[in-house]
Amino acid sequence: MIFTTDLILSILASTLRRAVPLLLASLGGTFSMRAGVIDLGLEGMMLAGAFFGVMGANITGSAWMGLLIGVLFGMIFSLLHAVLHVSYKVNGSISGMVINLLAAAVTPLMLNEYFGMSGKSSMVESFTNPHWEWLDNIPIIGPILGGQNILFYLSIILVAISWVFLYKSKFGLRMRMVGENPEAASAVGLNVKAYKYFGVLMSGCFAGLGGVYLSLGQMNLFVENMTAGRGYIAVVINAFGRFNPLGSFIGSIFFGFFDAVQTVFQSFFPSQLVMMTPYLVTIIVILFGLKSGRSPAGTGKHIEN
Amino acid sequence: MTDNMKSVKKIQRRQSFANSIGALIFSLLLGMVFIYVIGYSPIESYKAIFGVSLGTVKGFALSLSQATPLMFTGMSFALAYRVKMINTGAEGQLYIGALCAALVGVYVTSLPGIVHVSLALIVAFIAGGLIAGAVALAKAYTGANEIILTLMLNSVIIFFTSYLVNGPLKPPSSGVGQTERIAESAQLTRLIPQTQLTTAIILAIVVALLVQFLLDRTVFGYEVKVTGQNFKAAKVAGINVSKISILTFALSGAIAGLGGAAMVLGVNYRFVEGFSPGYGFAGISIAALAAYSPLAVIPSALLIGVLRAGTITLSRTTSIPVELVDLIQVLVIIFVAAPTMIKPIYKIKDKIVEKFKTRGKTHGGEEL
Repeated sequence: MIFTTDLILSILASTLRRAVPLLLASLGGTFSMRAGVIDLGLEGMMLAGAFFGVMGANITGSAWMGLLIGVLFGMIFSLLHAVLHVSYKVNGSISGMVINLLAAAVTPLMLNEYFGMSGKSSMVESFTNPHWEWLDNIPIIGPILGGQNILFYLSIILVAISWVFLYKSKFGLRMRMVGENPEAASAVGLNVKAYKYFGVLMSGCFAGLGGVYLSLGQMNLFVENMTAGRGYIAVVINAFGRFNPLGSFIGSIFFGFFDAVQTVFQSFFPSQLVMMTPYLVTIIVILFGLKSGRSPAGTGKHIEN
Repeated sequence: MTDNMKSVKKIQRRQSFANSIGALIFSLLLGMVFIYVIGYSPIESYKAIFGVSLGTVKGFALSLSQATPLMFTGMSFALAYRVKMINTGAEGQLYIGALCAALVGVYVTSLPGIVHVSLALIVAFIAGGLIAGAVALAKAYTGANEIILTLMLNSVIIFFTSYLVNGPLKPPSSGVGQTERIAESAQLTRLIPQTQLTTAIILAIVVALLVQFLLDRTVFGYEVKVTGQNFKAAKVAGINVSKISILTFALSGAIAGLGGAAMVLGVNYRFVEGFSPGYGFAGISIAALAAYSPLAVIPSALLIGVLRAGTITLSRTTSIPVELVDLIQVLVIIFVAAPTMIKPIYKIKDKIVEKFKTRGKTHGGEEL
């Protein structure tokens, strides 16, 4: 194997491409966890976003409308998580898994029903790369950033917005208070349930967008179970990044790198072994990388009515 | 136990039974809505589903054989939930158990039948237990979330076994990813010829009885109960909660491993890559329906097995997909977990019943 500059640049470009869905989902997870609701439903919300994004693009003929519909369905799935966990006080892990299992059951059913296909959907309008000439011509940066589509830039902006929201706005501060200590937040007159609902709905919005990136950004169709555990990896990235948008950014780049490298190695090793590596890396990070991390203290706590 | 406590337990049991039945009925009704939406008659479809799986010998045998792996994974989830741990790793443990059973079945030869089968089952049991035990150990020492850990392990195990049966373990003549056929001495006896129904179902029932006995009648079972109900109180009472949790979780994985072995020794006669259509996750639904009681897992798995067998048969002739059962399973989890969700409907039902009662009375009065 020869590491030429071209190969390194293409790995870096691919790292960013593969980091985007992880980044978006873990940003969503940040909102959910900061509001004190466990973010185990990200996988299902992503899968819903990926499918309904494609369905929306198929109906409207526009990738942007597809994006909106995908995000909307991500939020609908997250709403179920919020209703079950916040209103009906179901164990957050169970209700998160319910979201994942529901999306895993509904998307193939809808794929069969709407597209009349199984396994994958037909091709739809997708997001294309802008290819700005001035950017492409810059050495090193050009080949890395030139291959990114518009959703990449959108997600970078969303990192900044999320950070400002959580740490510089009154609303964000209050939401974090709900996550840390719901009783105290309730005592000072905050509507704890409303903040939790907001956090969970935002997680559905971001995870749905992450799913849309997979189906309409990286590809132009839906493939059954195309999230392939990225939602779970995002949960780990979120904890790894200490529930901070900037931490999520760094964590996503790290995991995106392993995802990008594995495609290079697929021509040298048996594909199953190579495809196994992102999950192995995740296990290693869980075992050795999260020791000092701690979830917001009020995670899963309810206030008495 | 005093009589008073006994009656409290009885009432709780009756409540959770009513809860489960309500959840199941409501999920089936929503399933009917789905069938209607895709353009079939819901009542005719359900008649066909239950008619096939309960009305014919072959259909009933298929129901029972479909229920068998679900019994193992359902028990696995129910047992782990007793210490408030969530074993989403049953799918991976199933694969590990299946692979180990296949290795014993293929490469250990010239053993008498009963010994060969037992050996394969024991190895699968230990392998599933070790994997799950390692997860619980990691949780105890690093605080890792067992859900994410087991889900990631599932992917690793499924890819790794797929590598093995497409590489080193693949028979030269085979076109698909699978091992050699296991020796005849390792195959389970078929209860009804030409069906997939084997003695594995008897094994499942025996395991359920043993686990229920373990939970209800032993010191270990008592410690499991206290640990699950109140972690802190258990610690104060001098129970080694980490040890209890690790052992329970390991046993949960071991049972899932047995389920995998049952698939290899009874159904496929070899390890086939990707053989499980999500039996591990179906276990969550079965356990919820059984209110996390190992013994109640048996009838719960039978119910879902009947539904699965009927839908599989029906999906051959209509476009009603097998995934319909997956949807119903998820709905069951939702309604069992949040019974208050369907309470408003109970209220409407009560009102209707009351109306009919009063109407009946007044009518009766007039007529007489």
